[in-house]
Amino acid sequence: MPVVSESLPLRRVAARTRLDFWFDAAILVGYTVAYSYGFTGVVIHEWLGIALGIALLLHITLHWDWVVRTTGRLLRPRGPDKLIWLVNLALLFAMTLCVASGILISRVALPELRISLPLDDPFWDRVHTLTAEVTLGLVPVHVALRWRWIAGVGRRLLARRPR
Amino acid sequence: MRFLRQLAAVTAATAVVVLIGLAWHHLAPDSFGGQGGPGPHRFVRGQAATAVRRGAKVTPGVALNSGGTSGVPSIQLGDLLEPVNLAVLWNTAWIEAAVIAAVVIVDAGLRERRRARRGSSR
Repeated sequence: MPVVSESLPLRRVAARTRLDFWFDAAILVGYTVAYSYGFTGVVIHEWLGIALGIALLLHITLHWDWVVRTTGRLLRPRGPDKLIWLVNLALLFAMTLCVASGILISRVALPELRISLPLDDPFWDRVHTLTAEVTLGLVPVHVALRWRWIAGVGRRLLARRPR
Repeated sequence: MRFLRQLAAVTAATAVVVLIGLAWHHLAPDSFGGQGGPGPHRFVRGQAATAVRRGAKVTPGVALNSGGTSGVPSIQLGDLLEPVNLAVLWNTAWIEAAVIAAVVIVDAGLRERRRARRGSSR
């Protein structure tokens, strides 16, 4: 059995784990800033929202194996991750509708891209507000349900390596 | 190749959600009832961006218009990301931190109870 000494370098964190950790952290920070409309103003809010939409597609793609695996196990009586699966499904709906309705009511980003949607319907304003508030409740739950992984990887990534 | 296949699957899944949203709008456009501005509003200190015409060219740091007779309130984009509005950002971060803390505490408590039950049954 190998002897673990404090002078040995810390266990290396896999590149994929590092990517997941920093990418997810960036999404969380981006979401927090984008939600704070009164701080960012309309221009940053809209562009950041579109960037978040793309980031979310990549985030789900990176975890697609988990989605397929967990969905397949849902019918088992004691299948793991059922609560996380439900929260993630609700978040997929809320976040997608939030970004989509945000694009539909865009006043700066879409015209800047020379796209014009003949929409002037308060329905999408309300959908945007409602789904944004739902995501504000669900995003932290989504993060917190993985707190053990975050704490473990964060400790390894942020710990100082001995020289 | 695998990544592209998965990305296509994710794009299809999100497209289904968007279609559900469009169907919702088509079938029940009055689901939120009444007229007027959208949902609850948040008040911020300082000058906030309140109205930008569709298609208006805006550059950060530049006053969009002077209001004048157009009836559109003036908007000072240079005011954006101002420290005075940081309270809005802290408010969001505080809500997130509070929910995370609550879920972590409940989750840790449940795990502890499960561990104790398993220990006592041995």
